[in-house]
Amino acid sequence: MRILFLTNLYPPVILGGYEIACAQTAEALKKRGHEVRVLTSWSHLPTPIEAADWVHRRLDLHWHIPHMPNLTYEVRELHSAVCSSYSNTLHLLNALTEFKPDIVSLWNMTGIGGLAMMDLLNYLDVPWAIYLGDRVPVDIAANVPEDVRGLFNAQGSRLYEKARIQSVSQNLLDEIEDHSGITFAHGADIVAGWADLSYAVPHGPYMPDGKARFVAASSISAHKGTDLIIEASVRLKDAGIHFSVDLLGEGDVPRYIDMVKRLHLQEHVRFIGQRSYPDLLRSYADYDAFLCPTWERDPFPFAPLGAAGCGTPPIITGNCGTSERLIDNVHCIKIDRTVDDLARAMMEVAAGQHDLAKMGRAGRRLVTSDLSFDRHLDRMETAFGEHMRPWNVSIDPTLPLLLFLKHNLSVRLRFG
Amino acid sequence: MKTDKPLRVAHLNPAYFSPDSYVGGGERYVDYLMQSLQTVGGFEQVLFSMGKEDQFFLRDGIPIRVLRNESSHPGMTNAVSAALWRELTDFDLVHVHQCLTLFGAYSTAIVRSLKIPMIGTDLGGGEDPQMLRGRGVGLLDGVVSISQYAHNLLGSFFKGPHEILIGPIDTERFRAGAARPPRDPRKLICVSRILPHKGIDRVIAALPEGLSLTIVGRVYHQQYYELLLGMAADKDIRFVLDADDSALLALYDAHGIFVQASTARDIYGNDVAKPELMGLTTLEAMSFGLPVVVSDAGSLPELVPDPRFGRVFSDVPTLAAILREVVAGSWPGPNAGDLARAHVVQHHGMETIGHRLADFYRRTLAGKNQ
Repeated sequence: MRILFLTNLYPPVILGGYEIACAQTAEALKKRGHEVRVLTSWSHLPTPIEAADWVHRRLDLHWHIPHMPNLTYEVRELHSAVCSSYSNTLHLLNALTEFKPDIVSLWNMTGIGGLAMMDLLNYLDVPWAIYLGDRVPVDIAANVPEDVRGLFNAQGSRLYEKARIQSVSQNLLDEIEDHSGITFAHGADIVAGWADLSYAVPHGPYMPDGKARFVAASSISAHKGTDLIIEASVRLKDAGIHFSVDLLGEGDVPRYIDMVKRLHLQEHVRFIGQRSYPDLLRSYADYDAFLCPTWERDPFPFAPLGAAGCGTPPIITGNCGTSERLIDNVHCIKIDRTVDDLARAMMEVAAGQHDLAKMGRAGRRLVTSDLSFDRHLDRMETAFGEHMRPWNVSIDPTLPLLLFLKHNLSVRLRFG
Repeated sequence: MKTDKPLRVAHLNPAYFSPDSYVGGGERYVDYLMQSLQTVGGFEQVLFSMGKEDQFFLRDGIPIRVLRNESSHPGMTNAVSAALWRELTDFDLVHVHQCLTLFGAYSTAIVRSLKIPMIGTDLGGGEDPQMLRGRGVGLLDGVVSISQYAHNLLGSFFKGPHEILIGPIDTERFRAGAARPPRDPRKLICVSRILPHKGIDRVIAALPEGLSLTIVGRVYHQQYYELLLGMAADKDIRFVLDADDSALLALYDAHGIFVQASTARDIYGNDVAKPELMGLTTLEAMSFGLPVVVSDAGSLPELVPDPRFGRVFSDVPTLAAILREVVAGSWPGPNAGDLARAHVVQHHGMETIGHRLADFYRRTLAGKNQ
């Protein structure tokens, strides 16, 4: 198959698991023999030379990070981010013309003018699938006025009628419907996250010397639960428990360093920074439990699966997306998203009340079977194959004019 | 193209001709155009328009579908509706009227996205920069212009197939009554909305002794109306501000010459864009058998190619000179009214325009399908 991946970010530029998942899928499908091209935004970081011929970093990124309010954010930029960026739409048109994909696989479309791009795919009747790892349809519906959405046939659920919908969790689909009313008439595949355990190493002994070693890997932020982890750590410290917490990742690190210092937790809580995915997997062998008190609406944090697959049981918010795939007290320890419940679970681990080795083996079995990367790729290939259909690759020469009119009308309708 | 069935044509106009919507020349033109196509046969037509709420009704056998206006911008020509996406899918051809407005640009984007052949017409509602300088008109498959003057305005931006259709006029409705007394050319009539760019002040200024003038139209500019009242004080002039359709026909019957004095610069010094893309009332008066005197604004000179039944003036002195000829009895000639009507029937009548429009639609579809 000729597969065009369309994504706002691509490693080395990432915000979280969504971009990593896209890259892993693209690279693995390429290794399986498919012809793959990625169309994404620029990178200010050094990029691998070997990917230069198939990862095309031509899109402009109108920076918009969902759910992270920025009061100085210009509404005009928001429009370009979620609705229409003419140059990006043209880049997509060029990619379709040159590459002639059998299918286009969309990932996070926020920041690159995703609405106009999906409209273009519908216009050309190109088969496309969207992998929902976040509530992209809600971001579009909430940030584009009705009359502008109408211009792109995007009122209600119409924009997605021709698309194959893939979602990391049912939780996410429910959230999309709750917040926007958007439903998917032809159904949606639940294509849960996965872990690629190629770099995993056998887990070491649990709690050597009686010390409980916790790890978290995510952006360092309130919504991922960093505050909860630190506040729970205070409880453990006050209880005299022998433990450590390593926080991996980037984010609002200075704030949390101050918080740790203020709470006198320096001997227990450390900030490790970002690790490559292989190093991250290898490091799990030396931890006893993985902390993931993420916000309830987290569609599907991938990191807990990697940890579970490496034998490090997650302590995880009970109603986040990933929890749909894990069984409490079999693969993980589910908690309410409170300091009390997180501290309780951490204390139970430290007290040896959970058979971590058994839980680790169960987690590994799950991730290497149903949630394996190979299984995920099989599902993606099957879905793409089912959705493929011939489309007319000859492009009407006046199409850029139509796209130009729509883009400018969208701006005019919104801003006068 | 479906050849075994009537061609389905959707007309898109931001308003429809009705007090419930808007009573203006643009709306009346679309009404007439659809009627003219009905005389030809072989077409199914629906008029899509915008309003406060969804509606559907028949008028003279033609379906009118009113879609809820979703625009956040006030003004009739800024009305938009995304319902067009689903409403238009089964049509063979879409004719977007008022194509140089926000309504027209939005409709053009949707119709083109649906890949339906599309024709546009400028009815004077705007000069949309995206459709003109942005070359949005290049998305049209054809253009119907309501005058050569109107087409000249579009011509530098649109090079594709076009047709100039001046009319149609309902020559059966606009015809002199059987019991009409002989016309008195000393009785002049102006029919237009009372607005500065209609140049009614110029007619009053030029009106010589020996002629009377009846001004028929609704007041849309109170200050201008009061100005006209002041100018008319010492002359044989009367205003009819509330004539309905039947009253208007009777007024045409009772007068001898029609005057249309629109101007590109009004009495207050304001420049007027696109005055008189098509002088519908002038043609209606001619259909009634009235010789006409028109200004050189916009398309008006195109309507009177023969000085025997139509004269053109450029300013008040020229108009005054023509009107002195009327007082002297040297113009119009005795058969001027018959010539005027014959000209309208031949060139601007329902059947003539209907056939030319049908032919243009078919040619456009054939060209699109090649």
